[in-house]
Amino acid sequence: MPAPRVIELPEYLDMPVAAQLAEAFLKLAGAPVAVDASKVSRLGASCLQVLLAAARSWKVEGHALTLSNASARFLEDLNLLGLEPDTFLTGVIAP
Amino acid sequence: MDPMQAIKVTFFQECEEQLGELETGLLAMQEGSVDDETVNAVFRAVHSIKGGAGAFKLDRLVKFAHVFETTLDKIRNGALAPANAVMKTMLRAADVLADLVTVSREGGAFDDTRSNELIAELNAHCDEKAAVKEAHPEEEGDNNPFAALGWEPVSLSLEPEINEYLIVFRPKPELYAKGNETTRLMRELSRLGALTVHCEIADVPLLANFEPEQSYLSWRATLRSHQDIAAVQAVFEFVDGDCHLDIEPVEASEAHAEPVAEVAPEAAPEAVEEPKAAASVPREAAKAEAGGQGNATQNTIRVDLDRVDRLINLVGELVINQAMLTQRVLEAGAVKNASIATGLDDLEHLTREIQESVMAIRAQPVRPLFQRMSRIVREIADATGKNVRLKTEGEGAEVDRTVIERLADPLTHMIRNAVDHGLERPDARIAAGKPAQGEVRLSAAHKSGRVVIEIADDGRGIDRPRVKAIAIKKGLIAPDAQLTDGEIDNLLFMPGFSTAETVSNISGRGVGMDVVKRSIQALGGRIAITSKLGHGSTFSLSLPLTLAVLDGMVVRVADQTLVVPLNSILETMKPKPGEVYGLGPDTQVIGIRGGFTPLIDVGYALGFRTHRADPMSGVTLLIETEGGVRSALMVDAIQDQRQVVIKSLESNYGHVEGIAAATILGDGRIALILDTDAIVHSSSGRNSPSDMLLAG
Repeated sequence: MPAPRVIELPEYLDMPVAAQLAEAFLKLAGAPVAVDASKVSRLGASCLQVLLAAARSWKVEGHALTLSNASARFLEDLNLLGLEPDTFLTGVIAP
Repeated sequence: MDPMQAIKVTFFQECEEQLGELETGLLAMQEGSVDDETVNAVFRAVHSIKGGAGAFKLDRLVKFAHVFETTLDKIRNGALAPANAVMKTMLRAADVLADLVTVSREGGAFDDTRSNELIAELNAHCDEKAAVKEAHPEEEGDNNPFAALGWEPVSLSLEPEINEYLIVFRPKPELYAKGNETTRLMRELSRLGALTVHCEIADVPLLANFEPEQSYLSWRATLRSHQDIAAVQAVFEFVDGDCHLDIEPVEASEAHAEPVAEVAPEAAPEAVEEPKAAASVPREAAKAEAGGQGNATQNTIRVDLDRVDRLINLVGELVINQAMLTQRVLEAGAVKNASIATGLDDLEHLTREIQESVMAIRAQPVRPLFQRMSRIVREIADATGKNVRLKTEGEGAEVDRTVIERLADPLTHMIRNAVDHGLERPDARIAAGKPAQGEVRLSAAHKSGRVVIEIADDGRGIDRPRVKAIAIKKGLIAPDAQLTDGEIDNLLFMPGFSTAETVSNISGRGVGMDVVKRSIQALGGRIAITSKLGHGSTFSLSLPLTLAVLDGMVVRVADQTLVVPLNSILETMKPKPGEVYGLGPDTQVIGIRGGFTPLIDVGYALGFRTHRADPMSGVTLLIETEGGVRSALMVDAIQDQRQVVIKSLESNYGHVEGIAAATILGDGRIALILDTDAIVHSSSGRNSPSDMLLAG
């Protein structure tokens, strides 16, 4: 199994970076990806939906997408948005 | 460090702070302040710990915090009165929570029966209220359970009823395009009360069909809050029109329904038109509340202690270097040049300011330490069957962090002693005409460049004849020794002394007061006792504010350079003929303004010379020791007065009697820093039973 490619999330995950983030994921399509959330100090809904879309796509294609090193702020914002790391990754049901 | 581990470390640091808040809040509640702010602070503390613990899958901690939080929530929304019995359970629950945090951090065994017992107790308190509710169903309408319990909510400033709202929120793409953010809205909502959020993610497409500008997510949130609906609407004031929004009060009967449900997006009603003018006032209130919580975190950063220490060390080197530079310039004779002299002065000022600022980084209030002690008091009061109240004063006094850390153990021991040995049992107290509840007072205050911490109890005081008898029995003193009250009190600090006939498992955990004394001594502190039979005892600790710098007078003694701490020097003088008298073969006194003060030749006392120097050839420094004793120290000459960086002698060499530490002077030479108290003590005769005055 190939080593997962790492996407390091930027510090501020808000609207302006959503499009770039979606592109970054698209470039890695078809391979396992590890999402490093250690630097995140703000998670906005626009980027959250990119992450959810990515998680769903990876699941559909049968590749691993893992979340690692989530920062406390990332987890806090995720929680405020009504999700937990587990739901975020595994609870995504393919449409 | 592994980043996840680093986050965990931060979480546990935050836990410590939250536990402190929790303890303070609960104690305030027990004292009768049941205002919203206090209760909310307590609730938030437990809630934050639970939240963090959840993220790290610390299930035991989450489970316990959850039950704790539920009970607190009942107090918060007025369904449970914070009666004495309830608060006692709460305080014990806080102790268990603290233990669970410790076990989660450090591993080790935890006795689940304790947490289960408390869970049962907490649940019982919750059910108590349920029973009251059933008995008085008519109370439910106005939601004032306090009347049923005969308890009037006097200090509740805000209306006590809790409202529950269901908020359905579906942002339009415009909301994000305008720079608004759901996370921020949810955060504002969470500041109004207890918020449960459910995110509807079914509409999120695969990445291939994903459009970043679209809005795919919607939320359904339940908010339990004291605020009225206008305050909730006010949160969404600026996104009005850019989202589908529905805020509805939930009837009490639906209040406990799970907020998770399928929300068909098309079912979400159109945005509610809000009366903006009406909404603006509560919004301000909500903002103010949020500001109160937020400021503390925004204005501080966490810095690794090692970095601070490295900085402090470097600044210490800078100070030494600056002194050396000044000296070199002086030696080179360049000081005649006025601009160089001014430059050097400026440099000295700057270095000093930098040093003070850096030291201030390490200074912390003693509050957390004091907060920890209230638990100790509680535990030992339970174990001994005594009724004790801990009163703390001056928690804001700041001391070097190392001093605080290393004070925890000795302080714990002294507090235990105060309750176990100092205070009498309630019946004995009543018999002695005192209130049944004993008091232990813990206070901190800054006094002339040091911090003085006092542990005072209003108990029986030191029974001196008994102390003396025990010391004689244990062979610590000769049976015919003549001791002053102060000397008898100091017997408590002798190794091998324990007044308890049988060592109780509370005070006597293999640690005696001698160990306490040594710990304080290692910190450059001193300890003193005052006691009055029947009225209580006071232990006072005098500690340096920092372990890094000292203002000192540089003196010369028998060709050695020494530093005398400036804070102990009262005045300096040159003895005149006829002022010095011999007293016995080995003692000299000096007449100062009609009184006599012992004269100590420092060079002789430290063994730099084998016989006393002529007092007329030197300078005397009149000093006052921690115990208030005045002595005159004789040195050969005064050279300078400056700030010196303390380099520990203990950690680099070993303890030397009469020497507190060392420093490096401007010319690169090492100078010893005098421990004036020890010098005075060791020169005042050998018949004293204990070296009461410690290294400073």
